[in-house]
Amino acid sequence: MLGMEEVVNECLGSKDPLRFEAPFKTKLYSLGFWVAQHKHSAVLPLLGSSCSVGEAHLSSLIMNEQLQQIIHIPANPPVSPTRQPTEKVYVALIEPKHANTIIRRLNQTAPLQNLHHLKRIHKKQVQGGKPELFVILCLASENEKQSQSMPPDVEDVVNSYNLTPFVTEVCKHAALSKEEWEEQCKLWPTSYHPPTYNIHGITGFSEEDSKSVFSFMKSTIELAKSGDHLFVNAALIVDPLVGQIIASACDEVCSWHTGTSKAKTETSHFKQSEGFTSDADANRIARDTTLLSNGSSNNLKQCDTTVFCLNPWQFTQQSLDGSPCYCHPLRHAAIVAIEASAARDRHLFPGSGLSEKLYEVDSTHSSPSGSPAKRQRITLENVKSGGEQAENTEGSNSLTRPYLCTGYDIYLVWEPCTMCAMALVHQRIRRIFYALPNPEAGALGSVHRLQGEKSLNHHYAIFRVVLPELEFPAER
Amino acid sequence: MSQGVPTEDVENEMNIGLSSYHPLAFAAVCSLSARCCWSLGAMESDNLAYMELAIHQAKLAMESLEVPVGCVFIKDGNVIASGRNRTTETRNATRHAEMEAIDILLEKWQRDGLSKAEVAKNFSQCVLYVTCEPCIMCAAALSFLGIKEVYYGCANEKFGGCGSILALHSSSSESFISDEVPQRKGFKCTGGLMASEAVSLFRSFYEQGNPNAPKPHRPPVEKKVE
Repeated sequence: MLGMEEVVNECLGSKDPLRFEAPFKTKLYSLGFWVAQHKHSAVLPLLGSSCSVGEAHLSSLIMNEQLQQIIHIPANPPVSPTRQPTEKVYVALIEPKHANTIIRRLNQTAPLQNLHHLKRIHKKQVQGGKPELFVILCLASENEKQSQSMPPDVEDVVNSYNLTPFVTEVCKHAALSKEEWEEQCKLWPTSYHPPTYNIHGITGFSEEDSKSVFSFMKSTIELAKSGDHLFVNAALIVDPLVGQIIASACDEVCSWHTGTSKAKTETSHFKQSEGFTSDADANRIARDTTLLSNGSSNNLKQCDTTVFCLNPWQFTQQSLDGSPCYCHPLRHAAIVAIEASAARDRHLFPGSGLSEKLYEVDSTHSSPSGSPAKRQRITLENVKSGGEQAENTEGSNSLTRPYLCTGYDIYLVWEPCTMCAMALVHQRIRRIFYALPNPEAGALGSVHRLQGEKSLNHHYAIFRVVLPELEFPAER
Repeated sequence: MSQGVPTEDVENEMNIGLSSYHPLAFAAVCSLSARCCWSLGAMESDNLAYMELAIHQAKLAMESLEVPVGCVFIKDGNVIASGRNRTTETRNATRHAEMEAIDILLEKWQRDGLSKAEVAKNFSQCVLYVTCEPCIMCAAALSFLGIKEVYYGCANEKFGGCGSILALHSSSSESFISDEVPQRKGFKCTGGLMASEAVSLFRSFYEQGNPNAPKPHRPPVEKKVE
């Protein structure tokens, strides 16, 4: 059975909805209305009519099985465990009684630099015989002709124990997952250290944490479909320590009015976008939606149905439009949410000498949770030792101002575009949760992968939240 | 101010050797980039004049204890907007000089009652002069708006979106003609214009210490009391 991820990817990647096979359609249906409606509105009526009783039954089974998932999107594009890069090394069979001495000598004279994940010794079980011990002598030269060029110290070892070196392949990099590690050990044994230093959630979520993640994501989706405008992106900035919403916003590309937007964000952190006024912006998604939802959305303005992170270049692609411009092509949901969180910051912690303020808080507040810089670590500890949590969160809530959005999470319906993703780096967001990938413009794995750009001065963790039961009000 | 059209040769020359400079590095030696600027010749005087204005904006930012980056937007040879970094004042780290100037333009054009098509056309005729290579966010934004051309001072080796980290200014080589794939917009981009001036501004800013950086980074240098 296809995994949820593959189903969605296949769905989004396919140009022709009609080519889906029947079982696949069923799975697609089980993912909920949302995905299908966005990219392939034509799929849905088709699904509705063609699902047999048996398929419908299967569909409900899948729904029960894979209700909700949080998928970590890693910094490096996933490599198949069987295709990990390798390196050539010299190895030799040794007598078990010499093993200790040889290892000691080799570790001193020829340490395995940058290959610390490799075990020096490989114990091979031979059927019906004693196990054989192989040892890594040193790296083998890439050049085949120089096959005899071992460092003199290693040659000494070879000569004194009468070894017969030969070349074999080992994995070049330390394993990043258990699957990779298992595959590596087929070549040569390595050690594997699951990431422990990383941002909370990478190694999995507790049931309680997952619940909170799903709940915030559902709120974000509600926000995106609140009011008349069904198809905008929505963003929710959350302090996970206290489960508090810091800021929320929808795309304001079409509804932007000079002067009003700033005032709005100053006064309300929980504001929702006002109804849109522009009648422009007929784009593909809008057309599809109108086509699809027919009766129920007759009064929808086409502009209301635009997720700007999906095609941020549409501003330059508009057909000529003579009506006045109430449009700010850059006010994507994440950007507006950042602005609202900054406004909240200025509102809660007024005073221009903010640097002094920050230092004051640091030096006078003795509790370890008082320092914004330490906040992230505290979070991890809190999760482990639940007991102190209440105390710490109370302190952090009332006394300290985090540096920008340090320690905060953001929930987005769609994977953000490059501009939004980099904005979230600048604002020091800790984790990004999105529900739906953005295959043509997404910057967190789809087109670019900013979480893997080492040179950036801040790195967040990315999670995709799959909520199969997503539906639109029209569907209920 | 008259309009100067840069020649291809001069642009190539300006692109030399800047990748090795980090605007934030103390040790950056600027002699090479300075030499690039010296050899520009008279054709570039307009470019230099516009960049001077951007540098002036960067200095204004520094006076307000902001990371010193400034920019100007030029259309038909006229300065139509200028901007400087306001990240500290707004506590919004996305308020880079470019974003400030873009907002000024959009507000102005909305007040003037311009249509969306006119706004898009205006951006397509704009040239941006900015003291430091636009970051990934700003480069993406400039591409979304369909700006014509960008001149920058020093490269931005940590965040640069015009070649240093990502190359968002170059439009996608495989140009899909399809409804499904969004059409990426590229823009012409030239670095190295008055790079040494931009770097020295950064250097003096970080030598004072950035009082707004999170704690472990670059504490202000304590001056010796005589």
